[in-house]
Amino acid sequence: MAEAPMLTVENLNVLYGDYQVLWDVSLTVNRNEVVAVLGPNGSGKSTVLKAIMGLAPVKSGKIIFEGIDLTKVPTHEMVAHGISMVLERRRLFTNMTVRENILLGAYHKSVNKDTRQRLEWVESLFPILAERRDQIAGRMSGGEQQMVAIARSLMSRPRLLLMDEPYLGLSPRIVKQIAGIIKQVNQEGIAVIFNEQNVQLSFGLSNHGYLLEGGRMVLSGTGEEMIHSEVIRRVYLGA
Amino acid sequence: MSFAIFLEQIINGLIIGSMYALIGSGIALIYGTMRVLNLAHGEFYMLGGYFVFFLAVTYGLPSWLAIPVAVFATFILGVLVQRLTIHYLLGKEGWMFSTIAATLGLSIFLQNAALLMFGETFQSVPYYISGMLRVGDIRLPYQRVLIFVVAIATIGVMTYILKKTRLGWAIRATSQDRDAAAVVGIPAQRIYLITFGIAAALGAVAAAMLAPIYAINPWSGLPILLKGFVVVILGGLGSFPGAIAGGLILGIVEAIGVQLTASEWRDVIAFTLMIAVIWWRPWGLFGSKPS
Repeated sequence: MAEAPMLTVENLNVLYGDYQVLWDVSLTVNRNEVVAVLGPNGSGKSTVLKAIMGLAPVKSGKIIFEGIDLTKVPTHEMVAHGISMVLERRRLFTNMTVRENILLGAYHKSVNKDTRQRLEWVESLFPILAERRDQIAGRMSGGEQQMVAIARSLMSRPRLLLMDEPYLGLSPRIVKQIAGIIKQVNQEGIAVIFNEQNVQLSFGLSNHGYLLEGGRMVLSGTGEEMIHSEVIRRVYLGA
Repeated sequence: MSFAIFLEQIINGLIIGSMYALIGSGIALIYGTMRVLNLAHGEFYMLGGYFVFFLAVTYGLPSWLAIPVAVFATFILGVLVQRLTIHYLLGKEGWMFSTIAATLGLSIFLQNAALLMFGETFQSVPYYISGMLRVGDIRLPYQRVLIFVVAIATIGVMTYILKKTRLGWAIRATSQDRDAAAVVGIPAQRIYLITFGIAAALGAVAAAMLAPIYAINPWSGLPILLKGFVVVILGGLGSFPGAIAGGLILGIVEAIGVQLTASEWRDVIAFTLMIAVIWWRPWGLFGSKPS
């Protein structure tokens, strides 16, 4: 029998006021998996991740992580359950130093023991951040800021990492670098769910993908299946 | 004007400025973390003054005990006020205006509650310390020296808290990005409560130190609030170091201005300075230019 999924989202509905953004969205993430949520602009892919993290108003549906109902967990308790997130557009504490930003990733009481080892581990993944530790985060380049954001999210040693548009606004060279980091993070035993507009880019990384259109899940499958799917062509090219 | 008198005025300006800094830094902390403009901030100052008066004069406690107790009581009051009013408005539709309306209402409510409970008599507290410091031609009552020492100590403690402690990091992180702070495990609601309490307590420290000089009455918070606003606009809304610098600058400019004109011009000078800064650098001396 297959192991139960780590994360199960079932019939998720999200409404901002009267405006429904997600309609009956379901997906699963298995242990150690990399899952891509795809879709054009405004399809609701960011909202899926925000809803899991408790940052979007869930109207109905289930979000179960390792047996726990996440819809009842406030955002600031997620790290205690082993979930962390890299927010869209980095969202660093821009007036604080690189080191301060990273250390804040281990703020929560459940993860603030052995901070030194955690820091060593994270800085071994991003050696450049150890060199730049005293720099003000807001003055770094986009790619470096994304590294700080990922480093911060890893300080809690999550079992599941959510990444909201990790490639947004980065140059192709940096995108490649970030993709390498995501791979490395996954090899450390962390499951990753991320969203991205670019289908080709996404399947360099993920084993499994979901396609959203107008807030509804219209397709799921392995990278190979999805790249060759007619649905993808229709959604992206309107053909 | 002799040089000694001039220097004395600068020092006096610095002393009053240090009090402006305490008031302004409270307003800045609340605005910085919650984006709430607290129009009831003067009333924390006013009530802090009454707490000192009751403890030190009515109950005759020694001032070294009365002042910390009054400051702590004001901290609790700040926490309660946040929890019972602002807490319900933040994040709701139209919160930017509703919080301003709510704190304005709160200010009127607290003034009238104070009037009802404490009466309209102006109260005062005796000097905590007597005597006069003399350095060359400059003479300075020890009471004023004490004000400055307490202000510097308070600013030092606050700076230490913000830079070095877990709570301080949480306050700074929340003020820079609330969602990102929540994601790393910082409970914004609790930080808001504590920040409001700290801001109220800073007002009470200023009230305690000024109680022997300025009379305590139900309306004593209003002029203080206005000066506090000048300070945060000078320094940049929401910036703690900006508020400290803004307070000291305002104190000195007022002192020099009054020397050159007359004391009725004090407020004119303060607001002229504020308008000039808004005209030249709308985001304040220490604030960052909005992008």
